Amino acid sequence: MSTPATLIAGYTRLKTAAAKSSLMAVALWLGSTAPAHGEDLTDVNSIIEKANHTAFYQGEDGRAEARMLIVDGQGRKQLRQFTIIRRDVEDNRDQQFLVVFSRPADVRDTTFLVQKHVGKDDDRWLYLPSLDLVKRIAGGDKRTSFVGSHFYYEDVSGRQLSEDLHELKATTDEHYIVRNKPKNPSSVEFSEYSVWIDKQTFMPVKTEYLDTNGKLYRKVEAVEIQSIDGFHTATKMRIDDFRSGGYTLNEMRSIKYNIGVPEEVFTERSLRTPPRQWLEEK
Amino acid sequence: MKRQITHLAINRPRLILWGMLLITLALGSQIPRIVVDTDPENMLPHDQADRVRHEEIKQNFNLYDMLVVGIINEQHPNGVFNPTSLDNVKKLTDYILTIEGVVQQDLMSLSTVDNITQEGLGTLRFQWMMNESPTTQAQADDIQKAVKNLPLLDDTLVSDNGRALAIYVPITSKDQSYGISTSIQTYIDTQLSSSNDEYHITGLPVAEDTFGVEMFIQMAISAPLAALVIFILMWVFFRSPVLISAPMLVAMAAVLSTMGLLIGMGFTVHIMSSMIPIFLMPIAVVDSIHILSEFAERHKPGDDPKNTVAEVVEQLFTPMLYTSVTSTIGFASLAFTPIPPVQIFGLFVAFGIALAFLFTITFIPAYIVNLSPARIEALATRHHKPSSPSLLARGLERFAQMAIRRAGLIMLATAAVVVMSAYGIQRIQINDNPVRWFKESHPIRVADKVLNHHFAGTYSAFLVLNQESIDPKALFLQRATTILDNDNDPVQSREQLRALINSMNGEANFLQSLAQRVDEFLFENSPENTETWEALMSLSEQLAIESKTFQAPDNLKIIEKLQAHLMSTGYVGKTNGLPEVVKTVYRELKGGEQSHYALPTSSQAIAQTLLSYQSSHRPDDLWHFVTPDYQSTVIWLQLKSGDNLAMSQVLKSVDDYFIDNPLPEGISADWGGLTYINVIWQEAMVSGMLKSLMGAFVMVLIIMIILFRSLIFGLLAMVPLTITIGSIYGLIGWVGKEYDMPVAVLSALTLGLSVDFAIHFLERTRAIYRETGNWSATIAAMFGEPALAISRNAIVIAVGFLPLLAAPLIPYQTVGFFLASIMAVSCIATLLLLPAILHLIRRWVFRSGSDKHSDSEATV
Repeated sequence: MSTPATLIAGYTRLKTAAAKSSLMAVALWLGSTAPAHGEDLTDVNSIIEKANHTAFYQGEDGRAEARMLIVDGQGRKQLRQFTIIRRDVEDNRDQQFLVVFSRPADVRDTTFLVQKHVGKDDDRWLYLPSLDLVKRIAGGDKRTSFVGSHFYYEDVSGRQLSEDLHELKATTDEHYIVRNKPKNPSSVEFSEYSVWIDKQTFMPVKTEYLDTNGKLYRKVEAVEIQSIDGFHTATKMRIDDFRSGGYTLNEMRSIKYNIGVPEEVFTERSLRTPPRQWLEEK
Repeated sequence: MKRQITHLAINRPRLILWGMLLITLALGSQIPRIVVDTDPENMLPHDQADRVRHEEIKQNFNLYDMLVVGIINEQHPNGVFNPTSLDNVKKLTDYILTIEGVVQQDLMSLSTVDNITQEGLGTLRFQWMMNESPTTQAQADDIQKAVKNLPLLDDTLVSDNGRALAIYVPITSKDQSYGISTSIQTYIDTQLSSSNDEYHITGLPVAEDTFGVEMFIQMAISAPLAALVIFILMWVFFRSPVLISAPMLVAMAAVLSTMGLLIGMGFTVHIMSSMIPIFLMPIAVVDSIHILSEFAERHKPGDDPKNTVAEVVEQLFTPMLYTSVTSTIGFASLAFTPIPPVQIFGLFVAFGIALAFLFTITFIPAYIVNLSPARIEALATRHHKPSSPSLLARGLERFAQMAIRRAGLIMLATAAVVVMSAYGIQRIQINDNPVRWFKESHPIRVADKVLNHHFAGTYSAFLVLNQESIDPKALFLQRATTILDNDNDPVQSREQLRALINSMNGEANFLQSLAQRVDEFLFENSPENTETWEALMSLSEQLAIESKTFQAPDNLKIIEKLQAHLMSTGYVGKTNGLPEVVKTVYRELKGGEQSHYALPTSSQAIAQTLLSYQSSHRPDDLWHFVTPDYQSTVIWLQLKSGDNLAMSQVLKSVDDYFIDNPLPEGISADWGGLTYINVIWQEAMVSGMLKSLMGAFVMVLIIMIILFRSLIFGLLAMVPLTITIGSIYGLIGWVGKEYDMPVAVLSALTLGLSVDFAIHFLERTRAIYRETGNWSATIAAMFGEPALAISRNAIVIAVGFLPLLAAPLIPYQTVGFFLASIMAVSCIATLLLLPAILHLIRRWVFRSGSDKHSDSEATV
């Protein structure tokens, strides 16, 4: 049940977009665009470190309302709606997340709490209101589905850079294309994945996963980017699973940044008593 | 017309030879385009109701046809749960996942399924069951314990005794199963470390596909072998390779043309149509044997072969035409069965027979005339050399005497056979099982036996419960009336609601989408009548929950009870359904004690349990049990036997159960799965065969009456075939052979072939009687050449098909055995029973009718 963490997925993308927008803002303010600044980067480590920083460690906190459309290979649809609140404990280090479901109504107030740690397993809790049950979920495998969607916990919450070997495959006009191979292949279902990183913003805009036959079976893509609170935000993300033909479309609404959410919100108490004040749109 | 044809054949032999060659080449050229179809599902038409439902079930629950790889270890004290065996399983699974045509995301193996475990205080761990091969025995034991704890996997993925485990390999299309199973076998043989593991590959798709491959081999070996045996037998009878080449050529031309036409017209070659050459060959040969027999008998050195041929054809044309017409009708009647492969088989054999007749009456005379005079002289001289009569001829003389002297006894014996047969027919068990189309020693049969011994069952059937669909919009508007009526300004609210609904176009999950829309409406417009809109939002959410029929605890309890009943039938090894999923996850959420293996008490609690289940590596596994709208759910049955009989018993038992425990209103049950489909086509075949047999019987009788211009001769002609069909099916009942597809089709063959002998016998008897006017002279003459031709035919066909007994596929063996029996019985019935009956009723038969010689009545 790596689920709670998967939630981060939508949000981290959001953060990624925010990062992109802030970078662009800086570029505009300086009156020039990035390429004019100089050379393409050639060191893969500095590229992925920048991308990682851009994707996961911008801003103080935020909230958003996510609508997830899960479509299976036959076109059958399911909807999920939840609110996600995020707070950074320390820049580039630990983070906290609270995810509270609002729809379907039969899972309303189902809640995930995640204390994300760097360098050790995350702490995760799950609250199921109709069972009146709080469960701790052991960390570990992060490549499990988020509530039945095509999102995995890991592919958006941030895979530790140290888990893969990275290689700069190509540099195009717009992107750095980085190929990543797992150091421990048995821990993952892919044999490698490539990430398209925007050269100006260092935002990963597309990720493609290959299976052991070298066949593309999964793709993560930012399909819509908007400017919110001065931050560029990926408001629509799409994950395709080419094996089943299904996909998940995640749409973020009512996004707010730097709302000053306190640390107390991310405690077990919030599981049984959702912090309405921070969840509801104001 | 017959004169013209004979005339043409005799005078323009080359035209005939070229004509036949061209037709054969033109049609035969289509044969390389052959497409084989071994899918038993195709026994039913594509639009057949049960089949359509079966396909719907497969689609609704993402079900694929599956191969089953069984790994068994009888040597190791821990069975397959030792590091070496499990490492082999892991490696094999990894390999199978790389094979093209395997549905990777649905493959079930220890290394691809999830495990859920309790870890410390109130902590749950979700992880792969066996992500890496265990290195110690303790780790292997842990895996065994973990699987045993998961009801969905226990006795499905791993056998109860820990000796065996299975890999379920879903495949995208059945016709790849042979290739995939061969790849798996090769990998097992070459790549896996030696251990005491045994491997078995089975599953209906492999059985079907393997059958298809063996069918080809069968066609390539059995049919030519049969041709060879027929050739040798004819040589024994006629001693002239040149002469007997002619019937072989006719048979070959007929077979090639028929198969060419079938393939050229775009039909697939099914198990039934693969037997066309074997059925057609003897039938195509028999008419030629009549002509050759008669020619060899009549032609004397010095005669003009043209004259002899003309005479022979003149004499045999009518009986040959009628035998061909009746055989054609017998087979064409199969078109009335509701089973497409049987229809195709019947119609094309019918075509083949008609074509063989045409070839026989044109090609055989042309061929004989075209022979060099020297050859014909040699033939005639050899044949008329004074020699002692053959064994066959002497035997026939005895037959004649016996038929006349012991007529009464023969009638009594016949009556006894009829009674015995009637009793035997009562005992016939209708049953089929595609796996049993293979010999007992075949690897597929062995695998089937071994795996069903270890596991709960490898044959699957699906019992689906469906909620009758309700229009959510209409339901919502109906229930919303009260809310809107209580509004301050109902007219305006109604209009706003209507506008809101109209702005939604075909959105997924209407009720839930509507709740979102109302939510947005509330937020964006902040209307004064907030309460009305909040009530509307709650209503749509409430209805959305209510619409999930199979998320309701009461309905899951109904499924549980139904599953318990299925287990009580004794035919079902295990069932898997939505309740198992819910109960297992619920138990683990509650701490893992068995006392919590129960259903939660609210729809919401079940929804949240399932949401947890979906947070796994295989979230879509849920949709193998229930559709995403929760309005349709499936119970998987694992049956120990693929026998239609077992499935039929389960069907009946469930029907009875529903009478005592009716399903709630609006919920209905449907069946699917290959084991079920097999029952359906078998039922269709049994009733269809009976109908087509009856129809053909009546038609043949009418033709006989027309042919003989006599009711009594018409009825007489039906006697041998009636006795033959009766005694053959009686025999089937007695020996306990089950009535399956090949047995069913034999009735048509019997009808077509048995009547031939009777036609020849009766027609010739009447002709000879007309000449001699004397019954004893007639019977003596009859047991000369005509009886010889009949028995030769019977022997040729019977012996010709004995090579089929060596076939590795049971349906071919069945056909071979019964063909021989049919020939023997109908030949004896014709040569003993007909003369006996004729003898007993001779005064009446030969006085009445158009017989001019009735005054010179025979006495013996």
